[in-house]
Amino acid sequence: MHLTRRLLRILLLWLLGTSLAHADGTAMETPHARVQLLTASESIAPGETLWAGLRFDLIPHWHVYWRNPGDSGEPPRIRWQLPAGWQAGDVHWPVPTRIDVGPLTNYGYEHEVVFLVPITAPGDLPSDSDVQITADATWLVCKEECIPEEGRFTATLRSTASAAAQQPAQWVAQAQARWPTPFSGAADYSLLPDGMMRLRLRDAAASIEAVNDLWFASNEWGPVSSSAKQTWTRDDGDLVLTLPPGDGPLQPEQSLAGLLVVEGDTADEVRGFTLNATALAPTPVGTTTDSASVSLWLAIGFAVLGGLILNLMPCVLPVLSIKVLGLIGHANGDARRHGAAFVVGVLVTFAALAGLLLLLRAGGTALGWGFQLQEPAVVLGLMYLMLALALNLSGVFSIGNRVMGAGQQLADRQGIAGSVATGVLAVVVATPCTAPFMGTALGFAMTRPVGEAMAVFLALGAGFALPMLLLSTWPSLLKRVPKPGPWMETLRRLLAFPMFGAALWLLWVLSQQVDASAFAMALSGALLLAFALWWIGLARERHGQRALAMATLVGAIIIGGLAAREAPPDPSNLTADAWSSVRVAELQREGKAVFVNFTAAWCITCKVNEQVALSSPRIESALRKADVVYLKGDWTKRDAAIGAELQRYGRSGVPLYVLHPADGTNPIVLPQLLTENLVLEALEQL
Amino acid sequence: MWKSIAVAGLIAGLNASAYATATVGEPAPEFAGTDTQGKQHRLSDYRGKTVVLEWTNHDCPYVRKHYGSGNMQAQQKAATDAGVVWLSIISSAQGKQGHVRPAQADALTESRNASPSSVILDTSGDIGRVYGAKTTPHMYIVNGDGTLVYKGGIDSIPTSNPDDIANAKQYVKVALDELAAGQPIADAVTRPYGCSVKY
Repeated sequence: MHLTRRLLRILLLWLLGTSLAHADGTAMETPHARVQLLTASESIAPGETLWAGLRFDLIPHWHVYWRNPGDSGEPPRIRWQLPAGWQAGDVHWPVPTRIDVGPLTNYGYEHEVVFLVPITAPGDLPSDSDVQITADATWLVCKEECIPEEGRFTATLRSTASAAAQQPAQWVAQAQARWPTPFSGAADYSLLPDGMMRLRLRDAAASIEAVNDLWFASNEWGPVSSSAKQTWTRDDGDLVLTLPPGDGPLQPEQSLAGLLVVEGDTADEVRGFTLNATALAPTPVGTTTDSASVSLWLAIGFAVLGGLILNLMPCVLPVLSIKVLGLIGHANGDARRHGAAFVVGVLVTFAALAGLLLLLRAGGTALGWGFQLQEPAVVLGLMYLMLALALNLSGVFSIGNRVMGAGQQLADRQGIAGSVATGVLAVVVATPCTAPFMGTALGFAMTRPVGEAMAVFLALGAGFALPMLLLSTWPSLLKRVPKPGPWMETLRRLLAFPMFGAALWLLWVLSQQVDASAFAMALSGALLLAFALWWIGLARERHGQRALAMATLVGAIIIGGLAAREAPPDPSNLTADAWSSVRVAELQREGKAVFVNFTAAWCITCKVNEQVALSSPRIESALRKADVVYLKGDWTKRDAAIGAELQRYGRSGVPLYVLHPADGTNPIVLPQLLTENLVLEALEQL
Repeated sequence: MWKSIAVAGLIAGLNASAYATATVGEPAPEFAGTDTQGKQHRLSDYRGKTVVLEWTNHDCPYVRKHYGSGNMQAQQKAATDAGVVWLSIISSAQGKQGHVRPAQADALTESRNASPSSVILDTSGDIGRVYGAKTTPHMYIVNGDGTLVYKGGIDSIPTSNPDDIANAKQYVKVALDELAAGQPIADAVTRPYGCSVKY
């Protein structure tokens, strides 16, 4: 009895919410709203599109929802029943307001709202007949509590032979006035290190002046929290909003589609702008300065200054010193032309590197300056170049027999082209040095549109070329440089050392990127290169031997190439946590199987196994499929725990591969020489 | 005693600092709540067990969709039979829709033939705020380690129409199955839908 009464009450509540909503017709009254289907005209011609609108007049304090309802709620839905050949478009959503419900925020409409939908008649519509269009609508109407309502609305249209010139109905114009307009400027967003999103609206000042408040709502649930506080600032002509992320963040590179709402002082002054913000690469790590707060001119200033300082870097100084020594020779000749050629070489190279970088950025790759150094082949090539330059400076070989050596040769023999080449070379050898200290300007450039980014890079080049430009423009300055003499030879040999230093640094970088065997090959290549260059210097006059020396040089380059190819495919393919017996037991308790790789950096077999078998994508997916956790025990340095574990398996050294089943039964020990299939078979035994 | 104070302090601290702090993949926020029998529950009491948190409000049409059709009760029964702890939580404040006294809550459980392990009355809204519960229903799953592994909707079709249940992906049910099978949870964060929690 008790139960029945309760059920009846629930049923009654249910009916109250929905019962009044079933009458056919163009309008209906619910306890919370008067809802009406309107059409912009009573007649329609073949192929014509007219606006149909679902209009809600809501009782005070109750609301219906925008397309993204926010923290709760549900947008109205309309299912059209149309004769064959007719088409209904999407709902056009007017600009909503924020409705706070306790700590939650919804996007919706109070008082009155019209949802417009375009309805298109077929091209072969017979004239002079009545056509019925029907909308089955469901909507949720809420104050704090929520009531789902629904209704069926039917409107009749008279078909005519041709469209009559009609004034659009007043209510259509009013509804359209509440539509958002497309944002005229560009918009982009980036993820900040603290997880917030920064939405930047470029050149927004013109379209958005009077602002009391503004806020952004994403079109769909997920990327942006509806209830957490948003802040905004102006930055020159831009508007910058800081948005708290929602529970469904965007994937990298996904754009952020949504609505910017600008509130003026009164309710009438609410405007909405639709926008689609493109994803910017995350701010490169290491740029601690907030790059958005740096204006373009400041960035250019930093870049010029940075370029200027770059001249003093150990990689660059020797090259430029040679060039200056070369200019001394030209002091009374055409130093100006050589200087200009050098500047051209520098700027073109900077533009080319920046262009490549920006192209890759547009392609969606997250890069920072120095990206070229992430490629072992490039690092190796630069290392060999530094080594060759250093050997040249220290007199091991020289392409000419003159005292001035290679730099002079470059400048002299090829004339103007030589000066351009020196500029190119100077930038190429400068790139490793650019990365560490140009943070602010480069960070800025990475997040700005192409034009601004290019301006910053060219400013960097200009700063870099400035000393040479000054010296060549006013050759009288050169006269203040000490007179040519034997001291130049001493200086040249001294300058070989920073060059060797730069080569050593690049070797160190390479050691982080490749494994030991590739590194050894890179060193062998360097030795062979040094030998070949020495031989070339020696054999300059004797042509037969020169060919042999050149062959040795080619050999060095091939070995270098092999070393670069040896680089591990991608160390992140199979990421491993560090092994410990505690960790293995812990994972087994969680019901996971564990695969342990005991390895060491100096163990060639281990490296071969890792290359041949363990780094293959098939193994990776097999591990994932079998829910096996991959752990690494690194025995490169002495480790008592690993030693004891090896002993447990009767081994005195690495490699050792152990597969622990999840149920804690006997572990499977794999052979010391692995193949892909061996590992896959072992995994299948689990 | 000290533990209660620590928990209360933790909750107050979280409350003051930010709304919605429950993050999937991180430890689920600790809470202390009283059920309809006057019994205290802490999340940490259930270490080693899977816990489902279900925010509910019997007057909400979206809750009625899932109770009226028997969907919620069936999921509760299947889960508790499998050893899962299912806590229904009512965060409606005094005087707000869905607020119930303990006896009323028990009567609702009985009349709807529901099978939660317990119904927690969170009148202050503290638990709801710590978890960032926004809608009724709003669902959370905590694994045996105390890690939050799911938060979001009860299923994939955000309407109040019971006819849609058959075609929807039942996120919680699927996630519990995946958890039991030791698989990663495919849809770990989904859109919660329903009425607002009446804080």
